[in-house]
Amino acid sequence: MRKRGPPLTLVSPDAVRRSDGARDWTVLMTRAQDGDRAAYRLLLNDVTPYVRSVAARCFSQSGDIEDAVQDVLLTLHAVRHTYDPDRPFGPWLLAIANRRIIDRLRGEARRRAREVALAAEHETFPEVETNLHEEHAHGRALGEAIERLPPDQAEAIRMLKLKEMSLKEAASRSGRSVSALKVATHRALKNLRHMLASRGEP
Amino acid sequence: MTKTPDLIDRLVESAGPVRRLSPPLIRAAYWLALAVLILVLLALAHGLRPDIANCLKRPIFVIGMLAALATGILASMAAFKVSLPDGQRAWMLLPLPALAVWVSTIGYGCLTDWVSVGPNGMRVGEAMRCFATLLLTSGPLSLVMLFMLRYAAPLRPVAVSATGGLATAAFTAFALSLFHDLDASIMVILWNLGTAALLSALAALFGRRMLEWAALRLAPPAGISSNHTS
Repeated sequence: MRKRGPPLTLVSPDAVRRSDGARDWTVLMTRAQDGDRAAYRLLLNDVTPYVRSVAARCFSQSGDIEDAVQDVLLTLHAVRHTYDPDRPFGPWLLAIANRRIIDRLRGEARRRAREVALAAEHETFPEVETNLHEEHAHGRALGEAIERLPPDQAEAIRMLKLKEMSLKEAASRSGRSVSALKVATHRALKNLRHMLASRGEP
Repeated sequence: MTKTPDLIDRLVESAGPVRRLSPPLIRAAYWLALAVLILVLLALAHGLRPDIANCLKRPIFVIGMLAALATGILASMAAFKVSLPDGQRAWMLLPLPALAVWVSTIGYGCLTDWVSVGPNGMRVGEAMRCFATLLLTSGPLSLVMLFMLRYAAPLRPVAVSATGGLATAAFTAFALSLFHDLDASIMVILWNLGTAALLSALAALFGRRMLEWAALRLAPPAGISSNHTS
């Protein structure tokens, strides 16, 4: 059975040293539970490097390590009433640190399974202009295909699809009947589909 | 992002004296006292099942009841032990033997009762009263368990809530077979195992969120917000 420290006094750093010169965390924690803030500050400052070394085994980024350290400190703070002064402080702290670190590792694994880090080639911009080169390529391929169509089909496609005229407008402009235009458009689309597919478009 | 020294400053500022928790087995005893109180109140309000004298002559019934009771007691002890940061995980094994006996008596009774299932084995009225007993027992017990174990949210939420749920479920099943004559074997299985499985599963599934909710709403840590790192 561990002896408790003397009843609450304002802590002087030397009062809580063990025989080997290190501060006794069990005594500090017991005093912190009794409301001794100086002891609590000493304790938190003392355990932080230790918790950081535990976290550094599991995380590589320094930001992740620091997040884990703060998580452990906050949890320690929230559950500090569960500490039993008759039991050693080290295992209690280590158990909290391990639980929080495992929880964070799990969360990170879940996030990594769902999300993909963006590389430079994924980078794009929402503005249309920045993505024009693709549309240009598609448009050029389509234009070349239309050039290769028979003239009546090419004319029908240009008027009805590219200029978006109505059938009536196109008929009066070209002097051809509505049904002839319809047939020409239909054949043109069929030819275009064939040509573009054979170009190996994805 | 908060710097760690700043965080320590804030933690120290908000650190008043805290009341230490009583030893886990004593806290389990408080919870068990509540369970007994609920059972006594229900017994006064509802009365025991009419054929209790006959039932107590059947060893299977008595063994099953005792095993359910033992499961409840051991599981609650385990839940309070496991909830502490340095509590050994092996405590979760404590209720398993009693649980095995309890489940096997349900199965055995089911086999022997199989032939006597009538075409109208259960009346609706009895089922409704069963449901009321179920809610009256499991509701308060779960809520109080949730409140008493709220600090386990960042530690072992799933293990704690599954064990606590098992304790609640065992007491609920004990109350059900004490107060209601459920003789149709299907109903026995449904009520006993179904309740136990449902409560334990609910506890395991939502235990983490419920414990986190209880930890935040019922006792927010003074002046410390939880989204410190973002």
